[in-house]
Amino acid sequence: MRKFAKTKRAFLIGTGVVGGALVLGTVLAWRRVANAQNFKPPVKEGETVFNAWLKIMPDSTVVVQVPRQDMGQGIYTTLAMLVAEELDADWSKVRAEQSQINPVYGNIVALGDSAPPAMKSAMMAMARVIGLQLTGGSTSVRDGWEPMRTAAASARAMLLGAAAAKWRVPAGELAIEKSEVKHAASGKSAPFGEFAQAAAALAPPSSVTVKAQKDWKILGTSPARLDVIEKTLGKTQYGIDVRLEGMLYATVRHIPYVSGHLQEVRWKNGAPPKDVLHLARGDNWLAVVSTSYWSAKKALEEAELIGGGDTGTVISSEQLAAQYNEVLDGKDNGVMKPLRRTFGEHGNAEKAIVSATKTQRIDAAYSVPFQAHATMEPMNCTVQIKDGKVDVWVGNQAPTVVQWLAAGNVGVPSQNVTIHTPYLGGGFGRRVDLEVIRQALACAKLTGGKPVQLIWSREEDIAHDAYRPAISARMSAALDDKGGLSAWHHRMVGPSVGKSVFARMNPLAAGDFRPDVTNAEGAAHLPYALANFKCDHAQVDLPVPLGFWRSVGNSYNAFFVETFIDEIAFAVKKDPYLFRLELLKDQPRFAKVVDAAASAAQWSGALPKGWGRGIALAESFKSIVCQVVDVEVVGKDIKVRRVVSAVDCGTALHPENAKAQISGAAIYGITAALKSQITLKDGQVQQRNFDTFPLLSIAECPQFETVIINSGAPLGGIGEVGLPPIAPALGNAIFAATAKRLRSLPFVIA
Amino acid sequence: MPTALTLNFAPLTLNAPDDKPLLWALREDANLIGTKFGCGIAACGACTVHVDGVAIRSCVTPLSAVAGKHVTTIEGISAKGPNAVQKAWIEHQVPQCGYCQSGFIMATTALLEKTPEPTDADVDAAITNLCRCGTYPAMRLAIKKAAQLKKAGG
Repeated sequence: MRKFAKTKRAFLIGTGVVGGALVLGTVLAWRRVANAQNFKPPVKEGETVFNAWLKIMPDSTVVVQVPRQDMGQGIYTTLAMLVAEELDADWSKVRAEQSQINPVYGNIVALGDSAPPAMKSAMMAMARVIGLQLTGGSTSVRDGWEPMRTAAASARAMLLGAAAAKWRVPAGELAIEKSEVKHAASGKSAPFGEFAQAAAALAPPSSVTVKAQKDWKILGTSPARLDVIEKTLGKTQYGIDVRLEGMLYATVRHIPYVSGHLQEVRWKNGAPPKDVLHLARGDNWLAVVSTSYWSAKKALEEAELIGGGDTGTVISSEQLAAQYNEVLDGKDNGVMKPLRRTFGEHGNAEKAIVSATKTQRIDAAYSVPFQAHATMEPMNCTVQIKDGKVDVWVGNQAPTVVQWLAAGNVGVPSQNVTIHTPYLGGGFGRRVDLEVIRQALACAKLTGGKPVQLIWSREEDIAHDAYRPAISARMSAALDDKGGLSAWHHRMVGPSVGKSVFARMNPLAAGDFRPDVTNAEGAAHLPYALANFKCDHAQVDLPVPLGFWRSVGNSYNAFFVETFIDEIAFAVKKDPYLFRLELLKDQPRFAKVVDAAASAAQWSGALPKGWGRGIALAESFKSIVCQVVDVEVVGKDIKVRRVVSAVDCGTALHPENAKAQISGAAIYGITAALKSQITLKDGQVQQRNFDTFPLLSIAECPQFETVIINSGAPLGGIGEVGLPPIAPALGNAIFAATAKRLRSLPFVIA
Repeated sequence: MPTALTLNFAPLTLNAPDDKPLLWALREDANLIGTKFGCGIAACGACTVHVDGVAIRSCVTPLSAVAGKHVTTIEGISAKGPNAVQKAWIEHQVPQCGYCQSGFIMATTALLEKTPEPTDADVDAAITNLCRCGTYPAMRLAIKKAAQLKKAGG
């Protein structure tokens, strides 16, 4: 661990380190494309490697190196499309494979996005040095956009150079169509694979120009995803499907509390049952290694784990809510020790609100609960430690960190650690966490070189996730004398997800992660015209492991902001759609999205009795999404009938996948808005499986319609952006149907 | 005690404890990994297989319960290439992460055997599996398409 701590601490953000990195980054002026030319991924028989991003086979198959993880968002396909476009490749001959771990593949945009605006460029400079391969923050396409297209354009120039030399014609007269090099004047034509070897021996061009959008043939269309056939045939191997000679199985149980330490293990018959081959023990868990998951699980059921709950500040969700209220009241109660920060401010919102008359002032309080990720593939990791080498098979969203962890944990150099990253059976931020890897490493140290696959039960997954935090907010607004919205004050309390994640990665980084911009994403800067604006956050520490959950801070801030906007529209007796448009009169890009959603949804169209229609808008990960929800309320039963979305992600590179991501994220958000939550009682999570943490089913799934607006603005993300507006749009629809304003999730009609 | 059954149209004897769930016998003893573990309590359907043509949840079905029976998994229905359901799934590009899809395809294949032209209500009643990626909109279209393909002899 020491090496890890010493050399990689840099990425654990601290101002001094960032400043140093800025200098380092500037001095070195590392350019990713130049690096990419120098790093060559390993080749399999027949493959010719051009640069870090692509290889070409003699039959012209293009093998794209994808350094991001596909957890369902389709990133293998979209990143391969960037390469295929510049090569004018035949899409049916394009494959994608997980790249190796190398700093050239680091996700620079993700780290840049994680920093406050003033530190962004420094963080990006540092990101080039660290080279962290991370899939998150809806950044994969934005990050791959320049280097992958440039790398492919470079390979294209080299292929044309080789063909020109062979045919003795000027390269400028050559074109590529569907992987065929063509010379119009002579009628010559040959698949580009024939030139691959000769081309790769040429010097890469010193500069290349990528295609203009008008010349795109693949980007902007919706070719078949590269993973769909295998997944449909049941042939895709996830981490849990790894099968190795002599492999053992393990499973784990944690103490019943969300935090605290394992003190004692008591076996039902006084000793572990015979199926137990090895026992591994961690700070708050016990793992059994056996010959089967089933036998390991049965054996572990005979163990009673005695552990102290860390009562800390959290005993129950109810108590937490009360403590949050004290913090929002301005009390520093000695338990929570809130760290108060302002994330956005202009004008003087507090003054305007305090001086508003009773009729000019609007206040509301909102809250959201903890949420679990519940990936369909339970947490698992397979490890083999043999002959000084470590192999780790795991679906993780940050393989670079997995490599650091395994090297430090086993005590071998990083180059002796191979991380195998398969397709992920869901991610949503859950697979940034490392705990299952630590546990599998501990088990593999006991097996004398035999591989071991550790699988968590669903009960462990739900009760010991790294959760989206519970957050409480109070919103205040003031109207001017003409009834216009003149001031907005957003105050909230909750923990920092980033601090919790990084502290679990490396305890030496347990210091304050400041400021965590994800706390206030979707709240610190709003598109609406607000003369006086303030967004305050009180950061508290909780003894609950926290994680990035699809759309992170946006997942709750959009709910607070867009429900409150609706409440203000109601207070000033304005149509919620038109009220938003008024506030967006200087924001044509946002207004267009709102108009598109309202128009597609026939906003003013009649609804049956008992139905309601609601609208919400959210910008997240540089994309803008507006959703209109139709809901039917029968007694206490809330039925979501239709979701119309409009999305401006700049340019939709794969429109059908973009639509699937929008509806998928919305469904994820509907589950959280209507069906499931994580609650704490006596320091324990009360939910255990899909019986107590239910997911939306096909029977409950609304109709979806999604309108894509290609504004040509800089690219935004797509994997998370369909989630933020769904809860407020749904809550606003419930209000329209019932006149009941529901201010906490999940929605329950009293 | 060894359990004899017909697995994907071929006789097989599995040496595993009687109470071992069929799911784990398939995954660990028969090395058929297309059938997935999702919850272990028959709530999500990722482990759906056919026993004598009926869709069941293999995570709560003890191996002993399928002695002498015909068990078909995703590997079995895919042996001759994609069936009508899978063709429709590919056409509508249903999977995202894909982990739950074997279970949905097995449930849909069984549904169409019994109800060749399912209404939306039939789908709602029969397809109770869970998908966390939210592939339901594409899935509903694919189920209808699969019914058409099957009717046309696909």
